[in-house]
Amino acid sequence: MLRKFFFILVATHAALVLSSQNTVLPEISISGTVMAAESGETLIGATILVVENPSLGTSTNEYGFYALQMPPGQDSLTLEFSYVGYQSRFVRIFPKADITLDVELTTGVELAEVVVQANSFRESLRSTEMSIEELSTKEVKVLPAFMGETDILKTIQLKPGIPSGSEGTTGLFVRGGGSDQNLIVLDEAVVYNANHLFGFFSTFNTDAVKDLKLYKGGFPAQYGGRLSSVIDVRMKEGNNRAFHGTGGIGLITSRLTLEGPIQKEKSSFIVSGRRTYVDLFTRQINKANEDNEDYTPIPDYYFYDLNTKANFTLGEKDRLFLSGYFGQDNFGFNGDFFDFSFNWGNNTGTLRWNHVFNNQVFHNLTFTYSDYDYNIETKVTGFSFKVGSNVRDANLKSDFYYSLNSNNTLRFGGNATYHWFGVGRLKAGSDDGSVSFSGGNDFKAGSFGLYFSDEMEIGDSWKLNGGLRLSGFINEGTFAGGVEPRLAAVFSVNPNLSLKGSYARMYQYLHLVSTSGIALPTDIWYPTTKTIKPENSDQVALGWEYLLGERFLITQEFYYKRFGQQVDFVDGAHLFANNDLEAEFAIGKGYGYGMELGIEKQEGKLRGWLGYTLALVRRTGFQPVDPTRTFSGDENPYFPRYDRRHDLSLVLMFDLSKRLTISATTVYGSGDRTWLPVGRFAFQDVYGADFEPIVPVFGERNAYRLPYFFRADAGLVYRFYPKWGESDLTLSIFNLTNRRNAFFLYLEPQYQESVDPGMEPLAIPTGIKAKQVSLFPILGSITWNFKF
Amino acid sequence: MKYLPYLIATMFFAAVAACGSLEKEIDLNLPEYEPQYVVECYLEPGQPFSLLLTRSSPYFEAFPNDLQGFIENILVDSAEVLIKYQGKTHVLTNDLVLNPFTKKIFNYYNDELVPADFENDFELQITTSDGKHINATTRILPVVPIDSIVVDFDEEKDSLARVLTYLTDDPDTEDYYRRMLHRGSLDSIPEQDFTTFDDFVDNNKIVFGTGFDFEEGDTVFTTIFHIDRSYFDFLESIQFAIDANGNPFGQPSSIISNVSGDAGALGIFTGISYDRKMVLVKK
Repeated sequence: MLRKFFFILVATHAALVLSSQNTVLPEISISGTVMAAESGETLIGATILVVENPSLGTSTNEYGFYALQMPPGQDSLTLEFSYVGYQSRFVRIFPKADITLDVELTTGVELAEVVVQANSFRESLRSTEMSIEELSTKEVKVLPAFMGETDILKTIQLKPGIPSGSEGTTGLFVRGGGSDQNLIVLDEAVVYNANHLFGFFSTFNTDAVKDLKLYKGGFPAQYGGRLSSVIDVRMKEGNNRAFHGTGGIGLITSRLTLEGPIQKEKSSFIVSGRRTYVDLFTRQINKANEDNEDYTPIPDYYFYDLNTKANFTLGEKDRLFLSGYFGQDNFGFNGDFFDFSFNWGNNTGTLRWNHVFNNQVFHNLTFTYSDYDYNIETKVTGFSFKVGSNVRDANLKSDFYYSLNSNNTLRFGGNATYHWFGVGRLKAGSDDGSVSFSGGNDFKAGSFGLYFSDEMEIGDSWKLNGGLRLSGFINEGTFAGGVEPRLAAVFSVNPNLSLKGSYARMYQYLHLVSTSGIALPTDIWYPTTKTIKPENSDQVALGWEYLLGERFLITQEFYYKRFGQQVDFVDGAHLFANNDLEAEFAIGKGYGYGMELGIEKQEGKLRGWLGYTLALVRRTGFQPVDPTRTFSGDENPYFPRYDRRHDLSLVLMFDLSKRLTISATTVYGSGDRTWLPVGRFAFQDVYGADFEPIVPVFGERNAYRLPYFFRADAGLVYRFYPKWGESDLTLSIFNLTNRRNAFFLYLEPQYQESVDPGMEPLAIPTGIKAKQVSLFPILGSITWNFKF
Repeated sequence: MKYLPYLIATMFFAAVAACGSLEKEIDLNLPEYEPQYVVECYLEPGQPFSLLLTRSSPYFEAFPNDLQGFIENILVDSAEVLIKYQGKTHVLTNDLVLNPFTKKIFNYYNDELVPADFENDFELQITTSDGKHINATTRILPVVPIDSIVVDFDEEKDSLARVLTYLTDDPDTEDYYRRMLHRGSLDSIPEQDFTTFDDFVDNNKIVFGTGFDFEEGDTVFTTIFHIDRSYFDFLESIQFAIDANGNPFGQPSSIISNVSGDAGALGIFTGISYDRKMVLVKK
């Protein structure tokens, strides 16, 4: 079956490429790559405008490539290349024939900053893309960070429409979607669990990341596989001009990145590593106490990330990239009587070939490999226990970018993925083999996606992007597929005001088995099967963008989203090591709607944004897959835990001088929802068991809302310029007001021992107290960063 | 072991929270709750028919000051309780009975003994004083005997031992077990009390272990209950409900009862079959 899909993919591409070769080209094509002058890094989203006709322009794609079509016979024209944080560059051209024009931009924006920002915003106004949030690591690095660890996933939570999960964690709940409905890709390879330490840190080392783009809606046809967002993270490519190093020493991790040319201006490498080092101290403490019999050793814990990338310019038209990510969390304990280890991590690899066929057609062929697994192993004298799960993908992807003419830009391509799932693999027993337990399920599945889209200019005011994606998934001989129409439109009312709209249908063929709002390493991915159908959603978004005084971009969007085939879990679900996981599933539907308002300033001494979200999400109609099981509250719609009605964030960065930048972030949000008991009963149980005076009876699902969330953080970056390079001290104060935000609530019974004659003493309850638990008080951190 | 990842995560968060005394008492207004009837009836061959019928309470309802008041507050009287078996109806009268051996109380009782019948169903019918009905059906399962108990002293610290309990599982049936382990006396708080099932068993042999926690001279009681799926679900749901209160990783769960009827009751009606062995820890 997969062979057939590969054939369709190749045949479709061939037909389209051939047709492009035969097309009569009445227009002049200008194309090339925009790069940073000091490093040779391609710049994603750089703006190219025709000065004489500002309505004509484009921006670089995710590979730094651009193509612009214009009618022939014009006199000289001036192209303005600009990118936030860089000097604009003006290039005069004579459009008599096709032109290949690679442009380098240099940093330093003191004079041109307002123009650059306005160009960037104007391109946003012209674009059919909406519901997008972007971040560069430059912004992330000056903002206050939890424990001094800058984190691009946590910073993106400050944008409108992307509320976080629990405090301090990296979970994203985009427009009513669950944290499992985000497609996170690093250099196009899927990252299945982008978390370290229960989500308090993401797997993305800021030193190795170039930028992040998050789609909340209006998904372009090239993306598929998750319902609620696409988070596209690009790694730096490495400096192909000179050797450099960056790094830092923080409270909990140290980082080092080395990059440089392999062959000057033709190839480069980057290697970036990060590791926590608390374990180095705890091991010494354990060693110092090894003769103390009363001492309980502190378990070992550390995580590390290693990002590597090399890129090679093979000629004027070809570039090759090879990148890899290797990250792991390790938790271990060696006791007198047993050894325990718990390891989890991701590995990804990307091999990518960019080829420019001609000034109109750009092609990207990518092979990616992704692997996430966790393993728990315990050894006790004579016995051992191992359990683990994994998901692995091998994916071949082909994307064409075809600038057909000044009115049409086509994108088409496809991908085929082979998936391996090892779900709940368990092996336990005695060393002599007399007792043995084993379990788990293996699945091998295939998926594909084929897409086509056309971005059309219609007159001076309208731009339309229509696309279609066909997707499918094959597992256990069962095929599930879907047709995913995508449509986005922009109407330019005037140069400063645009109205936008979009519609997208999405299918998701993998389901995360997790009941917790917090990312656990044991959360596992489960494929679509004969019984468990693919999740699906439809989202409609309408909005407007307004450029105020060349400095501020104001955006407002309204959305409605319908969810189908949503996965939840039955009462008392056993999700850990279960041979029949599907019996634990309950399937239902949901809907969400809301409004997002944002105002942003990207350049100048004072930068930042203000975002507000008003949202509602509900789930309903859940029925257990196994009819003998129950799902509490299936008769009523309910709010998921992450239903957050209001979410307000303010982010400010201010350059006091070249050396000193201060920053502040403030977040206010309605409290998350929680499920609390409303009643209780006493459970006597059988002889030998404990009498349980209070067994909670839980009421309506997630009916109670936690107190509102508020947190203000402040940061300061002080830069030094020694002879060998640059360095800075970054100070962060987390939770400046020391507010105790609720992490969870619980009800604590108070007991006293009974003294009734003739009866055994028994603990009987005398009262109940409601308690709120918070995680973080005010926390300060300092990090030293350097660059040479 | 299945809770280990959750346990580690909970320990981590508890440690973080404990660092700053980040816990405070708050006022909480819970929605109104209508009390429900709660049934506990265990049919143990050779023991009298007995049943405990109580009521649940709103979570914040005030507690009486003593044990007697606590018990009287929850007992439900004046119900008609019948257990039907093989065409015969056993009427359980509303008498408060304390079993002096087990220290367990029941408020409906019939001194006829439960037969050791593993082939036929028992049917429970309760009509409460307000005319509501509670119904349930169960069957007693045969005992799964303990094959052996092994006391195993640690090679390095030979003063400490562990206790291994072996049994043989029937590969042709789906079996559920409850395992209890007591040190010293069955009246003590069990050191182990959990439920499990035979999904992962490869060669019919199951072993339940302990840590190297026992010293020479300790008396250990190990008990294996052979339970049915409904009792397993009931016990698990109780454990989930208790664990979820105070644990951000817990799964709140409704109580999965095997009683039905228009009373909307909670509870369990089940047979009790177990094998129990005592072992003296010695070299």
